[in-house]
Amino acid sequence: MKTFKYFILFSALFISRATFAQQITKAEVQVNGLTCSMCSRATETSLKSLGFIDSVTPDLNRNVFVLSFKADQEVDIDQIRDKVQDAGFSIGDLSATMNFKNTAVNAEGIAQVDGNVYQFTNAKSKTLDGPVTAKVIDKDFISSAAFKKKAAELNSPAYLSGKGVISGKETRIFHLSI
Amino acid sequence: MKYSLITAVLLLTTCLCTKAQELYVFSEPASNMAAKSIGIRVTNEGIFNAGAMNRTIPELMLSFNKNLMTHVQGFFSDMDGKYRLEGGSLYAKYRFMSVDGTQSHLRAAAFGRISTSKRPVYTEDINLEGDNSGLQGGIVVTKLLHKLALSGTVAYNKAFVSANRKMAGMPQADQLISYSLSSGYLVLPIVYKNYNQPNFNVYFEMLGKTNPENGNTYLDFAPAVQAIINSRTRIDLGYRFQVAGDIPGRYNKNMYLIRAEFNFFNVLK
Repeated sequence: MKTFKYFILFSALFISRATFAQQITKAEVQVNGLTCSMCSRATETSLKSLGFIDSVTPDLNRNVFVLSFKADQEVDIDQIRDKVQDAGFSIGDLSATMNFKNTAVNAEGIAQVDGNVYQFTNAKSKTLDGPVTAKVIDKDFISSAAFKKKAAELNSPAYLSGKGVISGKETRIFHLSI
Repeated sequence: MKYSLITAVLLLTTCLCTKAQELYVFSEPASNMAAKSIGIRVTNEGIFNAGAMNRTIPELMLSFNKNLMTHVQGFFSDMDGKYRLEGGSLYAKYRFMSVDGTQSHLRAAAFGRISTSKRPVYTEDINLEGDNSGLQGGIVVTKLLHKLALSGTVAYNKAFVSANRKMAGMPQADQLISYSLSSGYLVLPIVYKNYNQPNFNVYFEMLGKTNPENGNTYLDFAPAVQAIINSRTRIDLGYRFQVAGDIPGRYNKNMYLIRAEFNFFNVLK
């Protein structure tokens, strides 16, 4: 059974690499723990230091930063989290607009695109096509209370660590809710 | 008496304000500067105690990562005659707890300071920002609730007094416990439009020190106002005055403070 699972995962990886392309075009990041414009400015400056970010538009009253990304560069969601933490704060919500092109989500809710592994918590056995707004629900992408609640609900080691064995290799798995 | 006073002040600040800040003027919050940032401060203290005296404190602040930051200070004053460099101080703060919520947070940090000063010692009060050589270690906890910020600090202060700085017949500095309770709130803007809008904050701090050996204690009240310009430059204006107790000969008994701070975010590699 396990071998079969890996086979499926591996083929999915292969197929998606060969046929489909996906791009995160936009993300809305709500930052927790800040209320002042000096803190917001520090957060924005920190985010702007990432090479793949094209622009940062803040909503100072809601503490939300709308990020747009450069078309030719790969978006690293974990680096966004690191930069927010560098500024002294944490992410309360990160919703990304992802453009899928006939991406298959397998029976376990896993999709692989361009080497990234996404575990959907509320979608399986379906094909995603076109822009989808997905919320990243991994640790440090939602409040720690929300993470604890979700961890109890999902009861999954991959969710706790954000990693899992895919095709025999330990891989970062992003948990998404759409 | 003291407790009821503190409760009254807390209630007052809680009721008056719905907006707050934690960039305290007479103490440091548990939060750090953004990682890899530089801050430059220039502070002038005017002391009305046995004649007017002035102290200038240039200060460089560096944050190495999200949890560790340091301040390097120099002290210049005319307190012993002509205006001169009297010492310096190195301060480091490590944030060990951070719980964030929407527009709220609870942080805790440990800090330490090592200071040197050429000034002679006339009092058992210890001021490691200019008047004494010594060490300080403490804990600070800061709670931000929407825009109201409350912060408490407890520290142990140890003075090093070399023989040639001792004044015959005068009290000697040895050790002190210092503590503070600070509150702050953001008055303006009520609604943010952009980074260029000036912010205006109001602070009220209570600063106390106790000598654990003889119980000598004082408590100061320290109101302050603050403007933040372009979300990068900070101007402070504060005044501290003694309301209870006393430690004879203390220098910063009645003191105003004016400060300018400039921040350069994410400039360190």
